[in-house]
Amino acid sequence: MDPFLYLDRDTWVHRLDPRTKMFLLIGAFVLAFLFVNPLYGIGVLAIVLAFGAAAKSLVNLERIWFILLMIAVMTVILWTVFGSGETPLFWFVEREALLYAIGAALRIDIMIVAGMIFLSTTRNEEIATGLVKLGIPYRFAFAVSTALRLVPTIAATGSTIGQAQRSRGLDLESGNIIQRVRKNTPLLIPVFVSTIRSTNVFSMALESKGFGAARERTYFLRLAMGRRDAVVLLVFALVLVTAVALRLMGYGGVEGFSR
Amino acid sequence: MWRHTQMVVLVALSAAIYAAVLIPFKGFTIIPGFTEVRPANVFPFVFGLLFGPAGAWGAAIGNLIGDFFGTLGPGSIAGFIGNFFLGFLPYKMWGSFFRRGENMEQNVNSGKKLAIYIAITILASVVCAIWIAWFNDLIGFVPFAALASIITVNNAIAGIVLGPILLLVLYPRVKRWGLLWTEIMAPDEVPDSRYQRLGNLLMWVGGLGALIVGLVLGLGLYEQGFAAAGFAPGSGGATGVAIGLALIPFLVLIVIASFLLGGREQVEAAEEEMATDTGTTR
Repeated sequence: MDPFLYLDRDTWVHRLDPRTKMFLLIGAFVLAFLFVNPLYGIGVLAIVLAFGAAAKSLVNLERIWFILLMIAVMTVILWTVFGSGETPLFWFVEREALLYAIGAALRIDIMIVAGMIFLSTTRNEEIATGLVKLGIPYRFAFAVSTALRLVPTIAATGSTIGQAQRSRGLDLESGNIIQRVRKNTPLLIPVFVSTIRSTNVFSMALESKGFGAARERTYFLRLAMGRRDAVVLLVFALVLVTAVALRLMGYGGVEGFSR
Repeated sequence: MWRHTQMVVLVALSAAIYAAVLIPFKGFTIIPGFTEVRPANVFPFVFGLLFGPAGAWGAAIGNLIGDFFGTLGPGSIAGFIGNFFLGFLPYKMWGSFFRRGENMEQNVNSGKKLAIYIAITILASVVCAIWIAWFNDLIGFVPFAALASIITVNNAIAGIVLGPILLLVLYPRVKRWGLLWTEIMAPDEVPDSRYQRLGNLLMWVGGLGALIVGLVLGLGLYEQGFAAAGFAPGSGGATGVAIGLALIPFLVLIVIASFLLGGREQVEAAEEEMATDTGTTR
């Protein structure tokens, strides 16, 4: 199973420049952050889900629904306990604290869904090249993209070693979490050692191909923001400005809550 | 650091290893979406000590990549900064515990070095927790008191239990392969250590001070203190903005301390050792 969330679809969202999608992601975070009231949060969630539907990426919700649910439950519990309001509901729970807690849970889940849509529509190579085009130093972006590329390889190596040891009678499944971590640790050490040992060879291979030789370099992946990107950014900017104006006029908060 | 290809590769490999071990444990949540059971937390300490700045950047990037698998959000910014400090403090503070001429090798083959490693692990865990909990409380995601204490303990346990074992296994190999950060970087690439002891002290004050003040405010303990002293309590607990503002001086102390810690003495010690071993200089 591919551990990454990217879905290879042909939608207008996939065809957007990765920089546009990064700005949209940040804008989605701001939009979600603006409103504490859960009613307004539902409106923001609807916008994000509509975007995800256009990108045909909502199928990835199947992979993260449990995380979203656990986050929502834990956030509601925490803020109900740590927050306080003016209107008692039952036991120690106040209405304003509960509203804030639900609003906070929605905000976090909206941001995670927005992140999921971004990763579902943007390849790792596009993320790295997009970062460079935004001014991030190339060597840093190279480290990020190389790490992204190596994660499945390292995970697969660890899995292979584990299977080889199981075929020789090693029991890795039984026991509690502490016992299983203890049993798995000796298997992981060969993975780390072989990975780190490859550093010198990796470095020589890079330098033999001219890594870092020139200040400016060209890229196989050519990025260009077009009319579609400009229209999308303009529409989203209008949505954001409207949301900020609403918030400044006093809508979207939870009166009476304190923490 | 970035001009050394080996260091760039070590950033990538550290990040990849960290992320590869983080991801399978994402399901063992403590506070869903913010922290989970993390044996992988041993890597920032060990990689930071062995690979220096490459380990620190690798920890930050590795945590961010881990967030790509379902929990990417604004909290990832705090996670990036916090995990950077998790790898940054071990190599920066290591040298400040030794006198000039003492063996500063980054292993734990003596009681003193083991004690120093444990102390640095605890402080780095606190500083990491402070950044993450402060930011998430400020934006109204998770209360400071809940997140700070859990992250501190979660980080420290992995580092203290698994770190010495990993260091004993990796140090001799990394040294043989010439991949210690003190062997790759030149002294003029590392800040000098003139104010190292002051930096060490400020880091302890900043980290522990932020944790104590944040917990006192977050748990409303100051209200009980006022009541015990005969003053009327306030209208409610400390707001997120109060915690956010109250911790800023401590965060500033942590940043200042980071610049004062230096690290050049470790590179110079490694150079002297290499010169002694081979009869040559860099």
